[in-house]
Amino acid sequence: MEPQWSPAAFSRPHADGIECTLCPFQCVLHDNEIGRCRVRRRYGTQLESATFATSVRHVQPIERKPLYHFRPGARVLTLAAPGCTFACTYCQNYRISQFGRSAAATWNAEPVVPDEVVENASRERLCIAFSYSEPVLAAELTLALAPRAAAQGVPLLWKTNGFITRSALREVAPVLAAVNVDLKVVDEHSHRRLTAAPVAPVLDAIAEFKRAGVWLEISTPILSGVNDTDSALAELARAVRAFGADVPWHLLRTHPDYRMGALTPTHPDTLARARAIAHAEGIHYVYVERALGAEGRTTHCPSCGIAAVQRGIWSFESHTLNHGACTQCGTAIAGHW
Amino acid sequence: MSEPRFVPSLPDLIEPHEYASDPGGRRVRVRIRLTPEGVEVLGDAVRPAELEKLLETLGAQVIEQMLCG
Repeated sequence: MEPQWSPAAFSRPHADGIECTLCPFQCVLHDNEIGRCRVRRRYGTQLESATFATSVRHVQPIERKPLYHFRPGARVLTLAAPGCTFACTYCQNYRISQFGRSAAATWNAEPVVPDEVVENASRERLCIAFSYSEPVLAAELTLALAPRAAAQGVPLLWKTNGFITRSALREVAPVLAAVNVDLKVVDEHSHRRLTAAPVAPVLDAIAEFKRAGVWLEISTPILSGVNDTDSALAELARAVRAFGADVPWHLLRTHPDYRMGALTPTHPDTLARARAIAHAEGIHYVYVERALGAEGRTTHCPSCGIAAVQRGIWSFESHTLNHGACTQCGTAIAGHW
Repeated sequence: MSEPRFVPSLPDLIEPHEYASDPGGRRVRVRIRLTPEGVEVLGDAVRPAELEKLLETLGAQVIEQMLCG
């Protein structure tokens, strides 16, 4: 199967060719040249994208993304075309994300008809999420879904690396209901080593999503020997806290995969330590999906500590909220309940 | 060479309470059963590459796997 190319937005003329303005690499492309993402190219006088397509149509709980404070228990239709702007060495999804870089990642996506996708989601009462690979590269498809999705009340969600130009973000953010942004490390050297990309645009995008009113959650893969020291975790926690105490932070367990076959799996004690550091930095909602049991998935009221929202593994179980507020003390629990 | 197929979910065979007792992630667990379609091998491992090698050795034509996120 080969990619089918469609006209892309997010470009402008450049003295040396056409400049792609979607991600901060801002590739300047000559005719027939493909960008660093491997899924956008210049063809003649226009920029084209291969991502008006999807390799999957998975229906899952929203907790899988993970999004814990946005419509808990909602079901999500996940779409993903191959491709990513990052080349993360530990990527567990490399067979889809590392298209063009890894021989194991082949093109297996079929074209998407936006109206059909939205009709299906509306009929089944699903949100639509872009996940697994990089949603930024599906910005055109996201925008194509948006009018009908808005008309039918279907929320659009991204699980993204946040590597997007400010101009592109400002076009896409108004159609997104919620995003979960991966923040892997905040140290520039480590970030480049891990992802082959700078971290500053990610931090900028997180701030811009928040400013734009998109519901924001952040995920961090805890990687042994990379970001699991007390100082690295505290640095990350301070960075997350800077976006607001009420931004949920998900600490993800990682295991050896792709080019990090020697990685040691994240120990539950490390995740517990990371969670304690996050709380000490003042972050209200810190989550660990599995390794710390049900307690790791529970939302506690930041004022009185009562268990306000309880979850199973990748599922919503129950809440005691009253119009989004703690039933015991009345404190508002941030989120879209 | 097996063909990977992405699926929305698969059952767990390794439970979270077992993570701490296997810090190196060496545990592999498999369940083999006969289904109307043939022999089904379900595997769970912290090191997916090792599990895939095992399944390929067993002759799997398709290996279903979940994605992260």
